[in-house]
Amino acid sequence: MSQIGLLVVVVGTMIFLALQAGDNLQARAIPTGFDFVGDSVGIQLSEGIDTKPATGGRALWVGMVNTLRISVAGIVVATMLGVVIGLARLSSNWIVSKIASVYIETMRNIPLLVQIIFIFAVIQTLNGLDEDTGPISGWFVVSNKGISIPRLFGLNGSFQWFAFMIIGLVVAWWVHRRRVQEQDATGAVTYPVLSAVGVLAVFGIIGFFVHPVMGFLGPVFGAMANLLGSISESLLQLLLALAALLLAARRIRNFLKSMSSGGGRAKLVDDDYFRMVFAGVGALAAVLVVFAWPGLSSWLLNSGQDLFELLESRFGSGNGGRPFDAKKPDLNITRFVNYGPAGLTLSPSFAAVFIGVVLYTAAFIGENVRGGILAVPKGQSEAAGAIGLSRGQSLRHIILPQAFRIIMPPMGNQYLNLAKNTSLAIAVGYSDLVQVGTTVYNQTGKTLPVVAIWMLFYLSVSLTISVIVNYINVRLKIVER
Amino acid sequence: MTETAGNPVRDLSQAADMIMCDGVSKWFGDFQALDGITATIKEQEVVVVLGPSGSGKSTWIRCINKLEHHQEGQIVVDGVELTNDLRNIEMIRSEVGMVFQQFNLFPHLTVMDNITLAPIWVRKKPRSDAEDMARALLERVGIPEQAEKFPGQMSGGQQQRVAIARALAMEPKVMLFDEPTSALDPEMIKEVLDVMKELARSGMTMMVVTHEMGFAREVADRIIFMEEGQIVEVGTPEHFFTNPTEDRTKLFLSQIL
Repeated sequence: MSQIGLLVVVVGTMIFLALQAGDNLQARAIPTGFDFVGDSVGIQLSEGIDTKPATGGRALWVGMVNTLRISVAGIVVATMLGVVIGLARLSSNWIVSKIASVYIETMRNIPLLVQIIFIFAVIQTLNGLDEDTGPISGWFVVSNKGISIPRLFGLNGSFQWFAFMIIGLVVAWWVHRRRVQEQDATGAVTYPVLSAVGVLAVFGIIGFFVHPVMGFLGPVFGAMANLLGSISESLLQLLLALAALLLAARRIRNFLKSMSSGGGRAKLVDDDYFRMVFAGVGALAAVLVVFAWPGLSSWLLNSGQDLFELLESRFGSGNGGRPFDAKKPDLNITRFVNYGPAGLTLSPSFAAVFIGVVLYTAAFIGENVRGGILAVPKGQSEAAGAIGLSRGQSLRHIILPQAFRIIMPPMGNQYLNLAKNTSLAIAVGYSDLVQVGTTVYNQTGKTLPVVAIWMLFYLSVSLTISVIVNYINVRLKIVER
Repeated sequence: MTETAGNPVRDLSQAADMIMCDGVSKWFGDFQALDGITATIKEQEVVVVLGPSGSGKSTWIRCINKLEHHQEGQIVVDGVELTNDLRNIEMIRSEVGMVFQQFNLFPHLTVMDNITLAPIWVRKKPRSDAEDMARALLERVGIPEQAEKFPGQMSGGQQQRVAIARALAMEPKVMLFDEPTSALDPEMIKEVLDVMKELARSGMTMMVVTHEMGFAREVADRIIFMEEGQIVEVGTPEHFFTNPTEDRTKLFLSQIL
């Protein structure tokens, strides 16, 4: 009961504060509407999926995509670099470990903003772009217009190639399982992972030539599209509602099952009732939404149908050519683009932010990796050695699995920091969400709504990252009693 | 054959040498931990190493499977001299089982995986064979029902018995025990000592660093007393506990008995 009381107090306070803020804003005539999302704002962005967005909403969307682009790529590259640096710092080679130490101390102790501006300034001082610009002219070009490399892109046949690769994945999985079984049965070393990778590579190469055989999937997708087309909106509503109720019922049943053992059910406390009530209320809310908003169901049906129709056309005739092609960066165009068949180019501001956050975060990740490996007790490697494991085996089976569990939680923090730090892009004019947002509110005067969108976006990105990291942590947790 | 303190004195003079140390010395920086240790341990012999803390007992036993590197002298295990060659070290280690004071079980693996890891990856045994052997060993150390538990779910005594089973799974020729009961609650010491006694009776060559005088008196063929990195006195339990010759040994015994 005390829990309900607390809930009422907290929610009540929040509602009161929100109403109060609304009154104050109205009294001082500060605009709060979100209408700019649908209105034309007439701004131009330096890069992104759409450089001349028609509406404010579209502009913010381009900013979000740019932020995600730099965050995801940054997390991947910073992790790789960080692991290398962490291991280098542990190296017994004096020069290697000193270089890693100096790197870490330098990066950690200079503000990221300064580093980003520094990198941007360095790129600005590079030579202009012409035919001979290197390091590898025509292929890998570093100039004051950015960094350009050739780019691989999918042609129409790539869909069939991917379908072929799915078969390859299944076969590789099967080979892996067979190899593990063989190793367990005979003790011979059979390299299961290497074999599976080999199978995938073979499939990739064969698929490059024979991918049109997957064309038969076209009619199958067509049939799926027709099937979705024949389902009526109310039938889907019914199905969705049923699914929600079933899911909630299963959850409650499983929960009750987990609470009871052979000797009967444990006494349920407030918390347990709340859980069940929340599951039920959630299901009812889902049912309500499904029926009160028929547009959702028809949207699901339509987009599903569109998807299958698209797939049908991708698998149809006329997709027999190469699945992939690569193009050199197009040096004739004066303004580099990130999209389209002209190679891949990091614009100076993208490169500055990207290199900045990667180098900076990698220093912290390196420290995490080093700390995680050192935190595995010395007795573990001694015990591994004492039963005859080689250094490599001890690393693979004993040290790294335990170090990984120690490294993962602080790694999540670094990923969060990296995602949030990309907002420094505003300093060098990269069109991330914050930079686009400031332009939008300068044009429309709607500061608070834009800031609200920023906060919601960063909040959901951060929560997504922590949910993923927490999930991994829970899955890997060492069992104790 | 005379019956002394419950331990029949075995005649091991004909047995082969299992461990031979000749003038082994080791320094940690300026501190000399081992000072010319010379001793031979016969096959099937049970040797208990006693001595005050800091006397180099653990360092010596850890040198025998190269967890520490000795700087002078020679150690020969089962006819193979210990060198710094990695393959040589790995070979010796798979012949010499070691049990640690802090158990050092692998917390992220089940008891079964702890025991089968080395047989599968070092001895290249089929998994089913390794698991059969692991179950037999768990039976032997008295905890057959714990195979699927994780170390963190067990008591200290159970963990130490798993550690013994893990070492035995490599079918070692020698077992080294580095204070195996020092981190245990008093009521768990007995269960571990019982396993070790059974092991000694089965003919395993054992070298045990311990403070358990009862165990030393009952099981040991020989007792080696060390101080300040040197071997002070060597003798049968009867000689050692009833009639020690060195003053330092007498002082040690008067302090602990």
